[in-house]
Amino acid sequence: MQRYLIKRSFQSLIVILGITVIVFMILHLTGDPTDLLLPPEAGPEERELLRHELGLDKPIYVQYLEYIKNICHGDFGQSFRYQTPAFSVVMGALPATIELTMAAMILSIVVALPIGIISAIRPRSYYDTLGMTFALLGQSIPVYWAGLMLILLFAVTLGWLPSTGRGGIKHLILPAVTLGMFSTAAIARFTRSSMIDVLDADYIRTARIKGLSEHIVVLKHAFKNASIPVLTMTSLQFGRMLSGAVITETIFSWPGVGRIAVQAIYNRDFPVVQTVVLVASVIFVGINFMVDIIYTYLDPRIKYT
Amino acid sequence: MKKNIVLVFLVLMIAFSFISEGIASAAAKGKLIVAQGAETTTLDPHKGGSAIFVNVCITMYDLLIRRDREGKQRLALATSYKNIDPVTWEFKLRKGVKFQNGEPFTSRDVKFSYDRMRDPKTKYPFRVFYRGIQEVQIIDDYTVRVITKKPDPVLLSRLAFGAFIVPEKYIKEHGDEYFAKHPIGSGRYKFVKWAKNDYVELEANENYWGDRPATIKKLVFKTIPETGSRLAALQTGEVDIATNAPPFMISKLEKNPKIKVVSGPSGRVIFIGFNLTKPEKAGPLMNKKVRQALNYAVDKQSLIKYVLMGSGEQLATPLIPQAFGYDPNIKPYPYDPEKAKKLLKEAGYPNGFETQFATGSGRYLMDKQIAEAIVGMLDKVGIKAKLKICEWGEYEKVRKSHKVEPLYLLGWGNTMSDADGTLVPLFFSKSRYSNYVNPTLDKMMMEARYQMDPEKRKGQYSEILKLIKDEAPWIFLYQQRDNYGVRDTVANFKQSAGSERMDCDVLRLAK
Repeated sequence: MQRYLIKRSFQSLIVILGITVIVFMILHLTGDPTDLLLPPEAGPEERELLRHELGLDKPIYVQYLEYIKNICHGDFGQSFRYQTPAFSVVMGALPATIELTMAAMILSIVVALPIGIISAIRPRSYYDTLGMTFALLGQSIPVYWAGLMLILLFAVTLGWLPSTGRGGIKHLILPAVTLGMFSTAAIARFTRSSMIDVLDADYIRTARIKGLSEHIVVLKHAFKNASIPVLTMTSLQFGRMLSGAVITETIFSWPGVGRIAVQAIYNRDFPVVQTVVLVASVIFVGINFMVDIIYTYLDPRIKYT
Repeated sequence: MKKNIVLVFLVLMIAFSFISEGIASAAAKGKLIVAQGAETTTLDPHKGGSAIFVNVCITMYDLLIRRDREGKQRLALATSYKNIDPVTWEFKLRKGVKFQNGEPFTSRDVKFSYDRMRDPKTKYPFRVFYRGIQEVQIIDDYTVRVITKKPDPVLLSRLAFGAFIVPEKYIKEHGDEYFAKHPIGSGRYKFVKWAKNDYVELEANENYWGDRPATIKKLVFKTIPETGSRLAALQTGEVDIATNAPPFMISKLEKNPKIKVVSGPSGRVIFIGFNLTKPEKAGPLMNKKVRQALNYAVDKQSLIKYVLMGSGEQLATPLIPQAFGYDPNIKPYPYDPEKAKKLLKEAGYPNGFETQFATGSGRYLMDKQIAEAIVGMLDKVGIKAKLKICEWGEYEKVRKSHKVEPLYLLGWGNTMSDADGTLVPLFFSKSRYSNYVNPTLDKMMMEARYQMDPEKRKGQYSEILKLIKDEAPWIFLYQQRDNYGVRDTVANFKQSAGSERMDCDVLRLAK
């Protein structure tokens, strides 16, 4: 196990390093940020000065090596646009994104698991049809449209909830529902199929013959075994949510990392884009890592060597 | 099971109705909320470079001279000014003005501020507008002189645009970084809180030297990038003013009796440029008659009426009426396809010709649709223009290297409201954005640039604009209109003609 952990950590590091190379190169291909930082009236003199100030006049490999060197010292560069450290720009927005993602995730799980399990126990019942229709809708409605429709209904027409911004619980509801919708549907469908597979297995029949209550059979014997693929799916959904947050945060003007990322890309604010991607990939790689370890607890047969 | 679902639904209903009580109009509490489409990136007035940034800074910081909503220059921290000679401007300063931390305002602050914004190390994106300043001299506590390298008739506009005054002592004591987080100005509003990416909150400055709109205690600039969400927040009353309402939303918004859409001409000119730097590619367009024919072939009134739904005003030349140098006697090319065909025939292209046409998409109001409509209009006189729709970043790159297609749609904002700021960047042969070469025009523009007599200068621009209209290096189109959604909580909202600037500090709440 220990050797496995070391090996996995090393692999994760390589993945993240690879990501920094790709992001760095792609960003520098997208054009000269000084064009967007200066008003169009600015002449070559201002442009050169700014390029020099931002370190963009050096060869790209030198820029990259300096970037990596600085990261090792905890310096993620100055945001071109905000003129403050890029790391603090991203970190300042991270709590908002985590709040939103967590709320959406909890909402997804709380809604999706019961729908999935009940649908699996009574396949082709009205409940199953209803649940799976919702799931189908949830996966096929574009987030963008759904968000605007929710605003139109709950904020503009009914006036129950605020349409934008971050505040208390009431500000959180619409964005969390919007962000969680796709995942709810995906997890519900996945739970259902996974449960149906398991409920057909011999040991479930054995459990029933033993005279255990249906309750215990479903929740303890079936669900625990069905939960491994569901967990994989859910952790993948977490990654999807980080990217989904970009759209949701824009619609609801939620002051999170997704919004920062969009603005930074528009403005060619390289250090901020790089930091966002780096932070997001560390989170994503970290979650995958954690899930692999949780497997061993859920299913003692899984062993890493 | 059924019972459970009903129960859950009921609980949710009750919960919703409970929390919804909290959403009430903010204006009732003396708070005015303005929603803009992007965020200011900084509150240091010498570090930002967008109209959004200026809108926020203008409420917190003063300038020697301000441009009001009618486009007129008014004295602010200066009480008078005069030209000692064409390059020396003397300003008398207002006495008894205090910064929001109590520090008195003197000529030292003016010199410090102007030197700071001109210093390349400050990285002020608008520094380009001030590079003509040679030096700033302190004569006494309340007199300063600004000396320019060459005569600069536009200096006052420049100073009114982004030459914000900051407190010298405070910044020297605490440093730039601290100042950016705890900004101090001398404007009508002072800083309270900046929730990054969400809002900037300001409160009324009780010690402001001028008149204060006493009804507003708190002024909030909120960032809502998505247009649909921004207008939804306006409809729910979460914000009082929302910028950039698209034309097709106007009638929908106005169905709400509490909302009014205020519109007016913006500073942005939209045009079709001809790339005349490469004769082999431009082909027939090198001929003046052909270029004039294209101007006759495009029906601008219809474009404005049907594509822009009224959100535009036709222009005869590149200059908007609000800019210095505008000549109302120059009339636009009328829509006359017969005349266009005649001119094409005279030029030797009776059957028209083929060419390429590039545009971005979503950058300007209905830009792609406008371009498509123009392709159809040109087709009617026999010109087959092949339209290419480009990603903006890529378009920017191509456009600046003079490699753009023979026809290209573009917009230009006139920052200083002066002819020089439109004509030189777009027509001077050496400019990055100019795709037109005419030594006579170059000479005329340079003469007008340094002319200190306003009447003479006006006459010079009139001649220049006549020449440009006749030479037709563009298809002259229109000036965009800006639409603001405003709730009835605001008493005196007004669009600044020819500018994207909002002077939110002079707003009042309705009784």
